[in-house]
Amino acid sequence: MATAPKPIDVGSDYKEKYGFFVPEDYVFKAKRGLNPEIVKEISFMKGEPEWMTKFRLKSLEIFRKKPMPTWGADLSVIDFENIFYYLRASEKQSKTWEELPADIKKTYDRLGVPEAERKFLAGVSAQYESEVVYHSLQKELTAKGVIFLDTDSALREHPDLFREYFGTVIPPADNKFSALNSAVWSGGSFIYVPKGVRVDVPLQAYFRINAENMGQFERTLIICDEGSFVHYIEGCTAPIYTSDSLHSAVVEIIVKKDARCRYTTIQNWSTNVFNLVTKRAMAYQDATMEWVDGNLGSQITMKYPSVYLMEPGAKGDVLSIAFAGKGQHQDAGGKMIHVAPNTTSTITSKSISKAGGRTSYRGHIKMYPGANNSKSFVKCDALLLDDESRSDTYPYNDVDAENVTLGHEATVSKVSDEQLFYLMSRGIPRAEAETMIVNGFIEPFTKELPLEYAVELNRLIQLEMEGSVG
Amino acid sequence: MVSTQTPLEAAIFQGEPDWLREKRQRAFEMYTRLPMPSRTDEEWRRTDIAGLDPSAFLQFETYGDSDMGGGHDGVILEALTTEAATNHRDLLEPRLFSLARPERDRIAALHSALFTGGSFLYVPDGVVIDEPIIGRHRSRDRASLPHTVIVAGRGSKFNYLDEYIDEAGAEESYRTGSAEIFVGEGAEVGYVSVQKWGRGAWHFGDQRARVEKDGTLKLFNVTLGGRFSKNRVEASLVGPGATAELKAIYFASGEQFFDFHTLQDHQVGNTTSDLLFKGALQDTARTVYAGLIKIEKHAARSDAYQANRNLVLSDKAKATSIPMLEIDNNDVRCTHGATVGPVDPNHMFYLRSRGIPESTAKRMLIQGFFGQVLDRIPFEEARTLVETELEARLG
Repeated sequence: MATAPKPIDVGSDYKEKYGFFVPEDYVFKAKRGLNPEIVKEISFMKGEPEWMTKFRLKSLEIFRKKPMPTWGADLSVIDFENIFYYLRASEKQSKTWEELPADIKKTYDRLGVPEAERKFLAGVSAQYESEVVYHSLQKELTAKGVIFLDTDSALREHPDLFREYFGTVIPPADNKFSALNSAVWSGGSFIYVPKGVRVDVPLQAYFRINAENMGQFERTLIICDEGSFVHYIEGCTAPIYTSDSLHSAVVEIIVKKDARCRYTTIQNWSTNVFNLVTKRAMAYQDATMEWVDGNLGSQITMKYPSVYLMEPGAKGDVLSIAFAGKGQHQDAGGKMIHVAPNTTSTITSKSISKAGGRTSYRGHIKMYPGANNSKSFVKCDALLLDDESRSDTYPYNDVDAENVTLGHEATVSKVSDEQLFYLMSRGIPRAEAETMIVNGFIEPFTKELPLEYAVELNRLIQLEMEGSVG
Repeated sequence: MVSTQTPLEAAIFQGEPDWLREKRQRAFEMYTRLPMPSRTDEEWRRTDIAGLDPSAFLQFETYGDSDMGGGHDGVILEALTTEAATNHRDLLEPRLFSLARPERDRIAALHSALFTGGSFLYVPDGVVIDEPIIGRHRSRDRASLPHTVIVAGRGSKFNYLDEYIDEAGAEESYRTGSAEIFVGEGAEVGYVSVQKWGRGAWHFGDQRARVEKDGTLKLFNVTLGGRFSKNRVEASLVGPGATAELKAIYFASGEQFFDFHTLQDHQVGNTTSDLLFKGALQDTARTVYAGLIKIEKHAARSDAYQANRNLVLSDKAKATSIPMLEIDNNDVRCTHGATVGPVDPNHMFYLRSRGIPESTAKRMLIQGFFGQVLDRIPFEEARTLVETELEARLG
């Protein structure tokens, strides 16, 4: 990489987008690799303030210094120099429907995903009809003072609010991948809910479809002011096809006094993706943070949504399911960091491994000195569907506080013979009976989802069980 | 023979056969080559040994004795380095440090290089010994590194107790106490270790067992002494029908730090393991439990249980519990659990409302907490010893 700034092709819509003009004879081609020039270019293309450019560059340095994590999944195969760190939307839609892998198309068929939605999910199209829905919703939200934007626009439109909270929950130096995200982030959602406002409709990234909401390095920031409530839903049950091999997001959430936030994820990346995500929330006095986290796709996922219980009465909840099929490793779990007294947390994890897949629960409960009279309970259940698959449990429980109660329970089993026998003796074929048992096993998760997601998830599990996909 | 040997090392090697001196030498080279375990090693992450310099403990000695009531045909019970190493090289050489391997880390290498004796027990096929065999390891000086090797022949049946007794007082000292236990086909072995070193001791112990087809091991670890204690309790189940029961109690008070790592290694199917570690902590004591159940790919129809329960009696005591599973087969039953918590206020209230003073009530609750697991100590003599020791410490 040369040290001189590279010429840039600004594209035909550049003036409309960014409000100034650069001569056309510059040529910008997205380049692979990671270096300060690329980071500067990303920041420049987005027209960011100087502090953000500096923030990105500093994060890149931190990324360079941090060693690769050696615990968990094998990440040594990731080649950071062979990745596009920033593609403009126009460059992203270079694929055609025909190029899609057959199993992805088949899954769309079986799930009954509408044509337009399929194309969007497959990355063939960036347009989706839900824009109409989004506009009417946006009107309602604005009336209440709620801000719901993509993160890039939020930086432009609400610079002060943005700067006050950005990077405060997950600093770049938190881990290697949060540093990477901080250097090259693009897209994601920004939500601000004012004091006492309840947002009744779950906000979905889906609604804002032509913004870059499902990028490789998206960055989400949610602020729930005192006494407010919001439910945010990320992802969808249908597989999202991408040719990018690395997805590394950062999600920061601040839940202030008496507020409640629920963040639901259904991750179903195609099975070529390394999904390495840092998600963390800070919950203040009597606030509640709930992570509902489903991991179905990707080749490797490492994701441990966490809640820092900062003030008395704060409550944290993680409800997580993982499904690992052939060649997949789901290393998921949760973290509860009790900093203040009288805080409570629960983690419930359900995992299913099939056809050589591997699921790992990895969790950390930490009760710092002073987090007295706190309670935490962790329950992990794993279901192994055949003898090729694997399940691990790595719960770390550190108690440095007084008068606390901490419990952890885990079981690993196969589909119970008694249950199978019961169903089969009533004339239900074996495969169907197994699917019913698996659906029953993850029911505590499904029942927390909005109906349309729950229905699709059940159908998806059925497909996975038949072995017809993946 | 050895250029790196100090006069001190030569002194302990005295009277030992060449094969053993060479084995020590190889382990000592490993010790010099390996780095000190650091907090970046998973097994040592929560273990602070920054204040430890093993080379500072220059006088190695041990006074041990072991006894067994009455003679039994073919049973060998001898001092490890001086007698057994010469008399029973064929039995000892292939086994010594084959389970507790020196290459594992610097501390294990040091133990293999400089172990200061111990016992060798060999019980031939079919021999049943009713009275327990007792090994006592006494230490009067700054360093003591006893080692036990137990070989149980096919269908043999006996109980063994290792008691680690400090006669040196509370001054800073270096102690290890390791045991390698080979449980043959259909054999039934009860093994109890009671560690009650002085409050100045750094203690490192590796207890590793290998259980063959239909063999049963009942291991019971009691950790009471030392300022610092790190124990690794591990059992490999290598034949179908093998069973390992791994139990422990620990009572940490003052500034004691106890660290336990356990492994239930199911290498083949139809094997059973059952682990229960119960500890009570008071004052500013700290304990760490990290255990793993590992079920190998072909180990179908295995049944494993793992539980760690911590009773935290003071505001300043801290317990860490990490019960882990790695399951590679679906036709298994694996359950584990961990709890950390204070005395149940309802239980306390019940006793107090019946006029029992608080200190007595607390003591009764601790006794109740340990009672359930004390009953699992495989033989009477050990049970009495442990009860007495606990009693004395509860005060």
